[in-house]
Amino acid sequence: MDYTVIVGGRAGDGVAQAAETLGKTLTRLGFYVFNYRDYPSLIRGGHNFNVISFSKDPINSHREKTDVIIALNQETIKLHSKKLKKDGIILCEKGINAKKSVQIDSEKILEEIKAPKIIRSSIFLGVLMKYFGHDLKPLNKIFSERHGKFLGLNMMASKRGYDELKGKVKKIGKGRKGKRYFLTGNQGISLGSIKAGLDMYIAYPMTPATPVLHFLAQKQIKHDMLVMQMENEIAVVNAALGASFTGAKAMVGTSGGGFALMGETLSMQGIAETPLTVYLSQRTAPGTGVPTYSTQGDLKFALNVGHGDFPRVVVAPGDAAESYKRTAEAIYLAEKYRLLSIIISDKHIGESHYTFDNIPKLKKVDIRNIIKPKKDFKIYKLTKNGMSPRSVPQMGEFVRATSYEHDEHGYTIEDPEMTKKMNDKRYRKWKFAEKEIMKMEPLTIYGKGRTTIISWGSTKGAILDTMRDLRNVKFVQINYISPFPSKQISKILKSSKKVILVENNVTGQLGDVIAEKTGFMIKNKVLKYDSRPLTKDWLLPKLRRLVK
Amino acid sequence: MNFGTSEVNTWCPGCTNFGILTAAKNAFSDLVKSKKLKAKDIVSVTGIGCSSKIYDYLNTNGIYCLHGRDIPVSIGVKMGNPNLEVIAFGGDGDVYAEGSAHFLHACRYNVDMTLLVHNNQVFALTTGQATPTSEDNFKGKSTPLGVFGEQMNPIATALVNGATFVARAYAMDPDLKNIIKKAVMHKGFAFVDIIQPCITFHNNRKDMEKRMYKMKNHNPKDLSAAIKKSVEWNYGDKGKIPMGIFYQAKKKTFENSWPQERVWFKKKRNVDQLSLFKEFE
Ligand SMILES: Cc1ncc(C[n+]2csc(CCOP(=O)(O)OP(=O)(O)O)c2C)c(N)n1
Ligand code: SF4
Repeated sequence: MDYTVIVGGRAGDGVAQAAETLGKTLTRLGFYVFNYRDYPSLIRGGHNFNVISFSKDPINSHREKTDVIIALNQETIKLHSKKLKKDGIILCEKGINAKKSVQIDSEKILEEIKAPKIIRSSIFLGVLMKYFGHDLKPLNKIFSERHGKFLGLNMMASKRGYDELKGKVKKIGKGRKGKRYFLTGNQGISLGSIKAGLDMYIAYPMTPATPVLHFLAQKQIKHDMLVMQMENEIAVVNAALGASFTGAKAMVGTSGGGFALMGETLSMQGIAETPLTVYLSQRTAPGTGVPTYSTQGDLKFALNVGHGDFPRVVVAPGDAAESYKRTAEAIYLAEKYRLLSIIISDKHIGESHYTFDNIPKLKKVDIRNIIKPKKDFKIYKLTKNGMSPRSVPQMGEFVRATSYEHDEHGYTIEDPEMTKKMNDKRYRKWKFAEKEIMKMEPLTIYGKGRTTIISWGSTKGAILDTMRDLRNVKFVQINYISPFPSKQISKILKSSKKVILVENNVTGQLGDVIAEKTGFMIKNKVLKYDSRPLTKDWLLPKLRRLVK
Repeated sequence: MNFGTSEVNTWCPGCTNFGILTAAKNAFSDLVKSKKLKAKDIVSVTGIGCSSKIYDYLNTNGIYCLHGRDIPVSIGVKMGNPNLEVIAFGGDGDVYAEGSAHFLHACRYNVDMTLLVHNNQVFALTTGQATPTSEDNFKGKSTPLGVFGEQMNPIATALVNGATFVARAYAMDPDLKNIIKKAVMHKGFAFVDIIQPCITFHNNRKDMEKRMYKMKNHNPKDLSAAIKKSVEWNYGDKGKIPMGIFYQAKKKTFENSWPQERVWFKKKRNVDQLSLFKEFE
């Protein structure tokens, strides 16, 4: 049994904030909550909405059929009333034209309690709490934890809303006992970076990566790190390399366009072997695309970014908890192996709220790969496993980093022998790193069955929720796409009765990667590329047809 | 310490880059000898071009960046460890063409670093194309019909964008060492445009030498006087070329913009997972 609430209004109506408050309230009531945020690329006007789906059992994506629509504008009715369930209800502003609606004169209430417009959504949250058969305690507790300034007004507003609703109720009861966490993928990325002991986050604003910049900027003093916005992404990534040269753990964040600008420097990382982590948050491309919406269109770009052959880690979290874990791992791997780590996520994971029971377990991720050098220190020493020792300025010997091919000390060379040796060294190191990464759960298998659904990243939520209604199906989520767990994937695919690729892009990019790495060609592809994320409502009929 | 390396030098014999190399080495030696600078603190950051080959010839900490990116990498070094003394070397192609945006912003930020531009008014390593400072009527390999547009005036640009030490010097002038020393000791963004004629692709050395003169009675504390002086020669014309320090001022630096103690590599943290997630319960 699950419930869904849509909150819609104009940009500037505080829809996202209200949805987050509601999501958190429901989480505290013991529910698992998924909160999807949908907004166009503008600041005032337009139409914004959130879909909050919740259940007593884990829920990983939002539903299309809705129990409650909270409409702060007429547009909400126009866009969403078709999705209302038979026994659903519309709670709306007085004057809005809608069937089956409870109309609330919020203007009047705001005037009476002398509250500004942004308090309006709290009136509706009060109405909703009554409708769901709960009192206002958990909601008010969240108000009191959040806005100091408007605490009193929010509480008054919710109380007035609560009193407005007469008679109608749909009791949802309480969920499960126990502590639960409610956060977005971008918050997960941020917390993971803090956990890994990140020293520096540098970025140029770009949706949907920007919330990480904002979050870490707010926390930089508390967590003793430095957060910087620079003139463009080229400056950002070069500054990160410069900082990393001095021993600071540095991460940059952007979306596809900014990532493209960083490309040349990411290639320099490959030869300089200066640790670097990149957060790539995909949005709908090509070009400026549909900037505030979600598509998994940059997988092959991440795998191939930068000229020349050089190794890089590409890790793809599938929800907020994994965003935390994989970010911490990515920073650890970059530092330990002097590698480029790319965390590839997207708008859907980044800006949706997920609920989970436990904080993922991590090994010791907060490391520093810096040694005190001896005389004749070689920062690019040719070693058996390809791992050269790393030191930084002021540790005793001079250190170098270079975009040119180089000898062991970091001086420029052009001779074929040393060029080959250095390439071999970098790929020996990669083999060595691969061994450890293959022990870090490079893929996850959910369920049992002869039919295999295979995917990566943000589709995880909709797939898991859909699988509950399918039989004899397992889901393989690939977490580390570089290095690729070829052996395991190959084995699974060969032993499956049927393989279905599910992706949120036009061409089935993971399918191409699987073909390249295993020789296995997947024929059944379920691809969505309308800039909106997958939902169970969309996916179930398609999978049913294929699974049978 | 002489700061030399045993790498084979591949500059053309007689290249004026040798003048800059000698001046830089001597400036570092003097500063280290007089205890104003520690050798282990120096980081030489270079772009790509003939000029940037200096990376291989200087025995210091060093980063050989991509073409045009010596400035943001230098800024990153200062963000990573503000106690390091960063000297960036680049060509006019590097700094005024490929990396021009970074140049403007480094001036604005007033990063405590030194930028030495080897200005030969030509792309030398790519065998002789025009740069933003090639003079009127210059015919490079890619511009046989002559360059178009106005020249960029990096001195004026640096002045109006907030650089706090702005000078023009000549690669073969024995006084270059002293200007570099002053630039390195300056707290803030120190920029020196060094006239460095390329004797292979743009040999205007004799002509330039005739036109250069050292500024006298110029007050480097006076910004309007400096701006006025900076446009006396606009890189395009055949006029007289004022040399020396145009401007020097004290201003808040980039490094002093945050309260965080920033020698990151020495930090140890132990982040408690539970308290990290507290606000998301
Ligand atoms: C992104 C990029 N574009 C082009 C080049 C080719 N390139 C190498 S050096 C150079 C210009 C060098 O001119 P300048 O910076 O003035 O240095 P100089 O050789 O004159 O000292 C160019 C265009 C490059 N290395 N990277
Ligand atoms: S080409 Fe010009 S700048 Fe380059 S080494 Fe030769 S003389 Fe010097």
